[in-house]
Parts: sequence; structure tokens; C-alpha cells
Amino acid sequence: MKNNIENALVSRADRISALIAKVEKPTRYMGGELNMRVKDGDGLVRFALCFPDTYEIGMSHLGSRIVYNVLNNRSDTYAERCYCPWVDMEALLRESGEKLFSLETKRPLDEFDIVGFSLLYEMCYTNILTMLDLGGIPLTSAERGENAPLVIAGGPCVCNPEPVADIIDAFLFGDGEELVSEFTDVYIAARSRGLSRRETLLELSKIDGVYIPSFYKPEYEDGKFARLIKTEPSAPDTVARRIVSDLDAAEFTGDLVVPYMSIVHDRIALELFRGCTRGCRFCQAGFIYRPIRERRMKTLIDYADAQLTRTGHDEISLFSLSSGDYSEIHEMVPTVLDRYTKDRVSVSFPSLRIDSFMKDDLEKMQGVRKTGLTFAPEAGTQRLRDVINKGVCEEDLLRTVKDAFTAGWHGVKLYFMIGLPSETDDDILGIAELARNVSREFYSLPKDMRGKGLRCTVSASTFVPKPFTPFQWENQISVEEVLRRQALLRGALKGIRGVEFNCHFSETSRLEACFARGDRRLGEVMLRAYEHGTRFDSWDEHFKKEAWDEAFSECGLSVDQFAGRVIGLDEPLAWDHMDALVTKDYLKREYESALAAVVTGDCREKCNGCFGKRCKTHCRMHYAQEGEV
Amino acid sequence: MRVVASFSKLDEVRFVSHLDMQRLFQRAFRRAGLPLAYSQGFNPHPLLSFATALSVGYTSDCEYFDITLSEPIPTDGFVSRVNAVLPVGVMITDAVDAGGFKGSLTPLMRSADYSVKMRFERDLSSRELHNAAEALLGGDIFVDKKTKGGIKSVDIRPMLISLSVSEADGNSAKLDISGKLTAEGGLPLELLFGALYEKLGVNAETRVHRKRIEMDWTVLK
Repeated sequence: MKNNIENALVSRADRISALIAKVEKPTRYMGGELNMRVKDGDGLVRFALCFPDTYEIGMSHLGSRIVYNVLNNRSDTYAERCYCPWVDMEALLRESGEKLFSLETKRPLDEFDIVGFSLLYEMCYTNILTMLDLGGIPLTSAERGENAPLVIAGGPCVCNPEPVADIIDAFLFGDGEELVSEFTDVYIAARSRGLSRRETLLELSKIDGVYIPSFYKPEYEDGKFARLIKTEPSAPDTVARRIVSDLDAAEFTGDLVVPYMSIVHDRIALELFRGCTRGCRFCQAGFIYRPIRERRMKTLIDYADAQLTRTGHDEISLFSLSSGDYSEIHEMVPTVLDRYTKDRVSVSFPSLRIDSFMKDDLEKMQGVRKTGLTFAPEAGTQRLRDVINKGVCEEDLLRTVKDAFTAGWHGVKLYFMIGLPSETDDDILGIAELARNVSREFYSLPKDMRGKGLRCTVSASTFVPKPFTPFQWENQISVEEVLRRQALLRGALKGIRGVEFNCHFSETSRLEACFARGDRRLGEVMLRAYEHGTRFDSWDEHFKKEAWDEAFSECGLSVDQFAGRVIGLDEPLAWDHMDALVTKDYLKREYESALAAVVTGDCREKCNGCFGKRCKTHCRMHYAQEGEV
Repeated sequence: MRVVASFSKLDEVRFVSHLDMQRLFQRAFRRAGLPLAYSQGFNPHPLLSFATALSVGYTSDCEYFDITLSEPIPTDGFVSRVNAVLPVGVMITDAVDAGGFKGSLTPLMRSADYSVKMRFERDLSSRELHNAAEALLGGDIFVDKKTKGGIKSVDIRPMLISLSVSEADGNSAKLDISGKLTAEGGLPLELLFGALYEKLGVNAETRVHRKRIEMDWTVLK
């Protein structure tokens, strides 16, 4: 008998290996990378960490790496990775009848106890279906029997879980470092007591931050979401987001798995802090990761030292929502540069805000490869920047790019959004004006003081209203209008020396807006769209508009009713049961300030009361201002 | 100091591409804390070069690279330090000081020996296989080769040094193949397999292992 099983395993590994041999990028599925966790033993909880996109994108996600480490540091759990197979592997799996497998042990997905997805982007939702389907797991919670894995999800999209509520058995809301481990504890306890699937979910629903969608039923009136009714009396009325209060002491990534292939973010990421105090009104991350919590510089340097040795990476990135706000940034930048550049480790500083970027720091970067600078003014005029609370002015930007040009940079990326609330054609033309001024700054420098040619890339994405932002009630402008404004901008940018224009395809942004603020009815739409062949919707070459249109019309719904609708301030929201800690009152106040183009200050200077009564218990910034720390 | 080293690339990493192998070694050298020398210029990179590439999916006992270090270290230390940090499936098998040799390893290559496992789509008799092998050795082997100017018919027989069937059992077989491998190119194995399948009238799945590269080391002595 044992021999038979071993033979079966060997031959399965061989069969998988034969499939891997046939795909374009075998290292996506191979596993076995340096620092991959290897565990052996019976009785381990088998946890599949699934990322609904390709390996090279999923492996670049810091949160998944943290959870991989947290779970694998437990002696009772083995967390393995699984990524969405590319279309070539999907075809091979279907043809051969093999199930989607984990990288670590090549175990089929349906043999795991818990299958957890990271939800980072709405356009990855159909990839969840691909993975469940290929993994031999029924697509909806309702269809899953006692022996099916628990399908769970975490990540920022959980703040409006409703569009995928039919598919996911349990959502984990907020920071995962502690929550995922508590979840596993309760799961193990329930399993050892022999509880049924439903009883297990009931136990799990008692954990703060866990949402079990099958315990609630939505109701609709006049084609709109009306309310969520509890079908399980003991389920909580609202689910509050979990936060790790001491980030510095929290578990981090451990030794990073070193990929063979080149991945999107192929470097050591130092998460300086979580949360952001700026309050840009379009930015979901700026609200749903509050409050700001920092890691100490020493902790980060120790981590970087260890990881450079353990991985052999030659690049470090200082990572956060607004790195210039890090309280030790002016010690951190020179320390990191002095310490590492002599060993030819390059250091990158994404998300440095214009106003915090200092000339001294720029000069310190002289010896480092000039990989290009990125700035995000987001809007073309001061009025609109005030509306969105992006407290950046043109003079700051121009001064900083001038400093950067003098220090040797000649590549600058400028990020903008089209379709922000209250945007007019003047605001669009303002983007071109700003780009013209950047170009002028470059070419007005004497030739010996600047690089050869300017490469200024203007990127314009489409504004997507997101839950838990002050713009959650706003609509997205129509596709036609997006295209008109893009054309207007393209025309206005024409002929500006050294400036290139880039803009994102707008159909996917439309669907993103639909799913971001959608309700549970979208679950059926998704299932149908999947049947009609939607795959990798975030990849333009795979996006199938007709399949989505057909799915929506079959369900009697439309993209526009979700993406294109202004929601009344007093209407119920499909995500009202999710408590992101930032209060609805605060978001309403911010919305009204936006419409009046009134700026709200940085909350490190003065508490704006975004958590309401919970500011006192949940935010250190609040303590600090009260003089308690 | 310039070190010439040989390494094996086994099953665990057989799908790692040539470009990814370069990165793999660069990272391993960093983990090992070796004093690497870098190229000059805008985008400095370690002075690491391989004698030749190995096709994705192949394994090997005998690949070669050379690496320049900024200060001398004992070559046995080089082997043990790098092996301590390499992922499973890659191993340095030997390292020597290149001494006064400054050139590339590529022109030193002469030929390579391969062991090839084949699993055919149907059972074959040992006689069928031997006959096909004889037939290939006995005449021209014209194959369609992709070149810059399009598809060209070329005779690869001059590149083939030897071919023998060492095992044959049911639908599986093992072949020993020797082919030329020089700076100008090498025996195109996949095209040779194609010619063999044509003779046999059946396709196969293959596993290729490079056992040895014959090098002219006189420059190093």
C-alpha cells in the first residue's frame, strides 16, 4: 500500500514536471527557490497562500511574504505558495486533468485545509475563480462540502468584500500579522473538536476582524442595495479592521524567498511605516492603513543587513505610502547610502513626496545609479489639488525637479489622474502646463549642469472612487468622457520638449470602479463572465469586454449602475458593515471640505478625529498630541 | 584574480534559464561575500562569463564560467564558500586560478557528450532503434534550421561525432551522443532528435544530460 502511494506521488511529481517543461516560463511553477520553507510531518495544517496573479507579481507582494513567514514560523502549520497559472499552464492543466498545485510540495489545491487569497486589486477577482476551478474546489461557498478547504481572503479589497462574498468563506480584515495566526489557532481548535464546517465558521466569526459572509443576506430595493440582514444571530453587526499596534515588534518577512526568474519588485523592501497622515482624498490606502505606525531605523537596518547576506539581492527599496514622512528619514537616507552603496547595493526611494524631498538627500544619492524620479502631483491645478487634499504646490515640484536635474537626473515621471471630482478642462490643460514648466526647468539649466536629454513621462490614470475614502459617494466619469479628456491632454502635451504621454486603458478602470463599490449581486456576474472566458482582466491583452457585457446583461445589471452612479450621502452603502476604523462622519466631513476645495492638515500636526471616539485608544498620534507619550 | 570554475546543474534547477543562472550566481557570490570585481561604465556588473549556455530543461555535470575577483582568495575556499550558499541543484565542482589566461572560455570548447533519455509514444524494438541510429550516422542529416535569413536546410551530420543506443526497453531508451561544440556553435540536439523521430516514425519526450565538455586547457597550463 505504502509503495502504491509513493508511486502515485512520484508519478504525480513527474507528471507536473512534464507540464512545467512545456510552458513559456517554467520557473513560475517550479518552486525550490532559496529560502523556500520546507516542512515535513503529519498533522500539519496545510495552508495554501494563493495570489490571484502571476508569480512575478505575487512574489513582489510584501504582505504575502509576511504571512508566509508568520504561518511557517508556527510548528503546526505549513504555508505553501500558489499563483495564478498563465494561460499556457491553464491549457496544459485542463488538457492533462492535473489540478493546480502549490510550489512547495506540488500538492493539489483541494488537498489543503485552508486556501487563502490576497485581494489587492479588483481586476484579479476572476483569477480567483480560475485558481479554484483548476484546483478542484467548488467556486461558491454554498457548493462546498464538509471536506472542501476553507476558502479565505485578506488584503485591502476586503474593505468591500461583497462582490466576492459568494466565493469566499471567511474574510480577514486588516493587518494580517496577528490575525492570520489567531485564525489558525481557532481553526485548529475547531478541527480537534471535530466541529462541522458551519460550526467552525461560527467559531471563526468570534475573532475580531473576521467576516463570514454566509451569515448575512443582502436585500435590494429599486435596483439598489438596501440592507444586510443577519441570518446567524450570533454574528457581529459590524466587523472592525484589525491593526498591529506595535509594527516595530511585529513579525516581518523572515528570510526572503529568492526567485530564479526576474520578478516585478526584485529587491529587499524596507517597510518604514504603515499608514499615512496626509489624507489625500482619493487614496484608499491613505485611509484603510491608518493610524501611522513606524518601524525603528535600527530594526530596519538590522533586517537589511541580514537579508543582504541571506538573499544576495543588490537592491533595497525604502517602502511606505509617503517615505519622506518617516520621522528618521534624514538619518535613514545617508545611513543606508553610506552603509550599502560601497557594496554596490542600489537604493530606491519610491513614494517620496515632493515637499519632503530634500536637496541634501539628493546630493547624497550622487554616487547611486540614477534610476529615475517619480512624482505624483495627481492634478494639474492648485484648485483641484486642494479638492483632493494633495498639499503639493507647483513651486515645490519645480524646485525639486530642478535640484534633481542639477544632481544629474534626467528622467522624471509625473503621475496624474483624470476624472477627479469637479475636474474641468482647465484642470486637464493645467497638467500640460506643469509638464511644460518641468521641461523648461531642465532646458534652462546650462548644458554642463544637466544631463543630455530630458525624459519626462506624464502618466494619467483614470480616477476610481473607492470605499472608505471621502470620494466613495462620487461616480466615475463615462468611458467616452475619459477618452475625450485623454485626447485633450495628449493634444496639449504635443510638442513639449522631452515629454512623453502614457495613459491607462479606461475599460478596466471602469470595471475596477464597478467592483470597488459593488455589492453581492456582482458575484453572479463574475461567475458568468468567468464562464464566458474572462482571464487576467488586468492585462489589457486578455481583457474581454464582450464577455463582461454579456455577463452583466444576463444578470440584468450594468457596469454603469455601480461605476457611474453618485450615491446619496444618506443611502446605505454595501460596505457599511465593514468598520475600517475611520468613521463615516469623518469621511462625510472630508467630502464636504473637498467640494469646497478646503484643505485638511496633516494629522501629525493636529488630530482631525478620523477615528471618532476611538482616536484615543487606536492612534498613537493622538496620544502624542495629548502629551501622553 | 580570475577564477575558472566548473559546476553542475541538476534536476531541481533544470528549468532555470541561462540569464537567470547568471543572476543566481551573482546573488550566490554576494551571499558568500566574495570580493567581486566590476565592469566599468554606467551600469557596472560583475565580470562573470560562461563558456556556453545550457538549454532550458537540460541538466549537466560540467558547465564552466569564469569570474574576476578584486583580490585573490584560495580556490578551495572559493568552492566551499559558494557551495555553502547555492540553492539545491547547483554545485561548484572545481575551481582553478586562471593565472595569466585572460581570454574567454568559449573558444576553448571542442565537443560535448550527452546522455539522452527518450520516452517514445509507443514501444520500439531495440533493432528499430539501432537501425535508425546507424542510418543517421551513415549518411547526410539534412534538417531545417532557423537562421536570420529564414529557414535553411543544412546537413548537421558533420557536427555529430558519435551516437549509440545504450539501453532500450519498451518505449524508453537511452542514447549516448557526442557532438561538436565550439565558439561557432554546436550540434543542434533538438534537430537531431527530430531527424531520429522521422526515421522511426514516432515522437518522444526527452531528458538531456550533458556529461562533459571537452575543452582545450593548454592555455591554462
